[in-house]
Amino acid sequence: MSTDTTTRPSAGPFATESTGARVLRFAIRRGPLILFAAVCVYLALASPFFLTQANILSSLEQTAPIAVVAFGLAIVVIGGGDDVVSGGIDLSLPASAALATVILSDQLTNRGAGLPQAFLLALLAALVVGLVNAVLVTVVGLSAILATLATYVAVVGVTRVVSENRRIDVTDPAILYIRDEELLGLPVAVWIMLLVFAVVAFLVHRTRYGMNLQATGGNLDAARSAGIRTTRIVASTFVLASVAAAVAGVLLVARGSGSSPGIDERLLVDMMLATFIGAAFSPRNVVNVLGAMLGATFVALLSNGLVLTRVNNSWIDGWKGVLILIVVAAAALQHRERK
Amino acid sequence: MTVDEAPPGTPVLEMAGISKTFPGVKALDDAGLTVRPGEVHGLVGENGAGKSTIIKVLAGIYAPDSGTMRVDGEELAHVTPAAVRSRGIRFVHQELQLVPTFSVTESVFMGAELVGPLGVRRREMRTRAERILEEVLGTAIDGRRLIRDLGPAERKLVQIARALVQEGPRLVVFDEPTAPLAAAEGERVLSAIRRLRDQGIASLYVSHYLGEITEICDRATVFRNGTDVSVVDPIVESSGRELIRRMIGRDVDQLFPERKNRADRRDEGDGENGQDRDARGDGIALSARGLGDGATFADVSIDVARGEIVGLTGLLGSGTAEVVDTVVGLRRHRTGSIRIAGRDSGIASPADALEAGLVLIPRDRRHDGLVLEQSVETNLNLSTLGRASRLGLLSSKLLASRSDGLIQKLDIRPADRTATTRLLSGGNQQKVVLGRALAADAGILVLDDPTVGVDIGAKQEIYRLVAGLADEGAAVLIASNDPLEVLGLCDRIVVMVRGRVVLDVPASDLTQEELISHMTGSAAGDPTADARTAAPASAPASADTAIADRADGSAS
Repeated sequence: MSTDTTTRPSAGPFATESTGARVLRFAIRRGPLILFAAVCVYLALASPFFLTQANILSSLEQTAPIAVVAFGLAIVVIGGGDDVVSGGIDLSLPASAALATVILSDQLTNRGAGLPQAFLLALLAALVVGLVNAVLVTVVGLSAILATLATYVAVVGVTRVVSENRRIDVTDPAILYIRDEELLGLPVAVWIMLLVFAVVAFLVHRTRYGMNLQATGGNLDAARSAGIRTTRIVASTFVLASVAAAVAGVLLVARGSGSSPGIDERLLVDMMLATFIGAAFSPRNVVNVLGAMLGATFVALLSNGLVLTRVNNSWIDGWKGVLILIVVAAAALQHRERK
Repeated sequence: MTVDEAPPGTPVLEMAGISKTFPGVKALDDAGLTVRPGEVHGLVGENGAGKSTIIKVLAGIYAPDSGTMRVDGEELAHVTPAAVRSRGIRFVHQELQLVPTFSVTESVFMGAELVGPLGVRRREMRTRAERILEEVLGTAIDGRRLIRDLGPAERKLVQIARALVQEGPRLVVFDEPTAPLAAAEGERVLSAIRRLRDQGIASLYVSHYLGEITEICDRATVFRNGTDVSVVDPIVESSGRELIRRMIGRDVDQLFPERKNRADRRDEGDGENGQDRDARGDGIALSARGLGDGATFADVSIDVARGEIVGLTGLLGSGTAEVVDTVVGLRRHRTGSIRIAGRDSGIASPADALEAGLVLIPRDRRHDGLVLEQSVETNLNLSTLGRASRLGLLSSKLLASRSDGLIQKLDIRPADRTATTRLLSGGNQQKVVLGRALAADAGILVLDDPTVGVDIGAKQEIYRLVAGLADEGAAVLIASNDPLEVLGLCDRIVVMVRGRVVLDVPASDLTQEELISHMTGSAAGDPTADARTAAPASAPASADTAIADRADGSAS
């Protein structure tokens, strides 16, 4: 049913579609996926280490924080609609996650707090950012992309002040446990990711809230006229996403054994890639939670593979930028097609 | 679906004395509407007659200034969307309010999901959705299919199923349910409505397609000028003519200018069709042949001669707006050709069109036509800055003299070229748009709904200006869904129904009733209308004397 091309929403009584148009539509829908598969095949051929078990497990560990922020972004995009310009987006999530890493590290290392207390504070900070976003978008009426770009910059600034732009090492046993231990052959960080996945996937795909969330993002007017409180839904997405950012902060501290400056930049790129490529995994071709996790896995494998094939570190960001462009452009084209 | 203790014969819906005023407009004036249990009740009227306003009052979207509303004999104190819904009144909106990426099941249950301890109950929802579609509406659709993969009629049925999914539907309000559908597809929706009637659910059927009204309605209420002027009871196959007469019922002669060329043109134009004119080819300024965009219209041919005003008309959604957009290069055509003065136009944008001597006066002047924050002078010269320049630099003297000339010619008020355009009235803003077109000395004018939201005085002046331009030799194409406007102003009328041209005749050959019956698909021989609803409306447009004449209400 995924590639059914018999009728298009905009088709009037005189609609026809040529083979060329069909091929183009397929390329737009599945293009990013094909591209990523091609890149992975290339990496597997170029580096003998790429497909080893150790490398895959470490890639999965890298995946965890990306996936968790991507879940957050997925919620925002599902509820706000996938129009790249006017739809739902939260650019501030990586900044919130970075702020969380700094608060966690600072609390654990410099203030002698335990993980629960440190996490609570980090969560509180992230929630404040989420609430500000929600107010900016639903009350003030800014477009999500502008509002969250502004909060992104502001939060990065706060993070620098709090951390004095220095790295903070963490040796807290709970963090080391997440970093080093395995359960049933999978790293603890991966289990945390799977747990968050289960919760978010249930929320989005199996609850009434989730159905209303999808309706709101799919067609705002339709949702409103069906009696759904769309403003409340949109506001809630930013708050939920900020919770995801705080959890991702814990995973980032574990992955990096502390907080380091500038972590938000790469996370932003990875999160965007993971979330939007995720749409290509779903038969309906919309951003979704499972897609975000698979997308995050892809992104982690890609970063890892590029390092293995000794691509210059600076070039990696360039490549990812190009990929983001392709993935987001495909999303925009698809949105236009659906209109 | 339990019928309560209300005595038999109590109307399911009774609205009385409803008034609603918007700033400057009395949209509803002591209007009423009564629907009996289980009947299919039609609601008809021209654009601006108040149909959509009373529907919005009924839906709880607009609060009326006065009036009462009873459902099953019981007065509703607070008419809110939730209260109306719980009383069993449901709405099927004109727009397809669906999420393209949702499944049929999800769409039917949108906003009313069934939830159990393990989350939403997908299987139960699917069973119920499929059962409503099959048993109530007579269509089997797999609940797992996605909306984007459905045809337009199936989508409409899903929308109807959504109105029925909650307990106790008593009255379903259909707002132009067949508007986006081809004729055969529309039949599926109509038969679903008949099935609702068989099950005792009343329908309020709002439509411009009078052919459908006479086909499925038991009774119909006619709205004009914000109130209900009559109830036609019962509706029979030949009721179309009576409906039209009651919808119009007014005098409009003095609204339109006397065309000095029109009488001659009428003589020479009689009996000619588009093909003959094309063969002769003399004086044809704009000629479209076999135009189609692959979606909203097909095989549209229109000729406009110099000095001629051609009206392109049809109901909303009939494709006239799309044809106009195509002619001026805002939209691509897949088939056919557009020729200007006998040459292929090659117009791909309004800028190309301007160069070819064709200028568009867009329907939404606020969004498409004017830079509202700028002065009248700037707006008047916007298309022709090159002509107000010396050596590539704008000359303020030229700008001023050109705009003063236009302000005088068009009688734009205030007569101040430095005034901010936003502060002008709607009619004067429209004159500025017209003036900008005049400044371009275009030989061909295309006007898209030129008098929407314009008061009657300004309307008259716009008609006078357009007629004057044609008299000076301009070729004018007007798209309008106001039948009075095209009849009063145009030399020739092209009627479109559902994306196709169904009629192309001199205006003098048509009465208002005939024109409306062609537009609404209730005319005999109209390929998209059902033969059995044929209502050849040829009686003169004399108003029913029982119906009070009111000043112009045609403004949409």
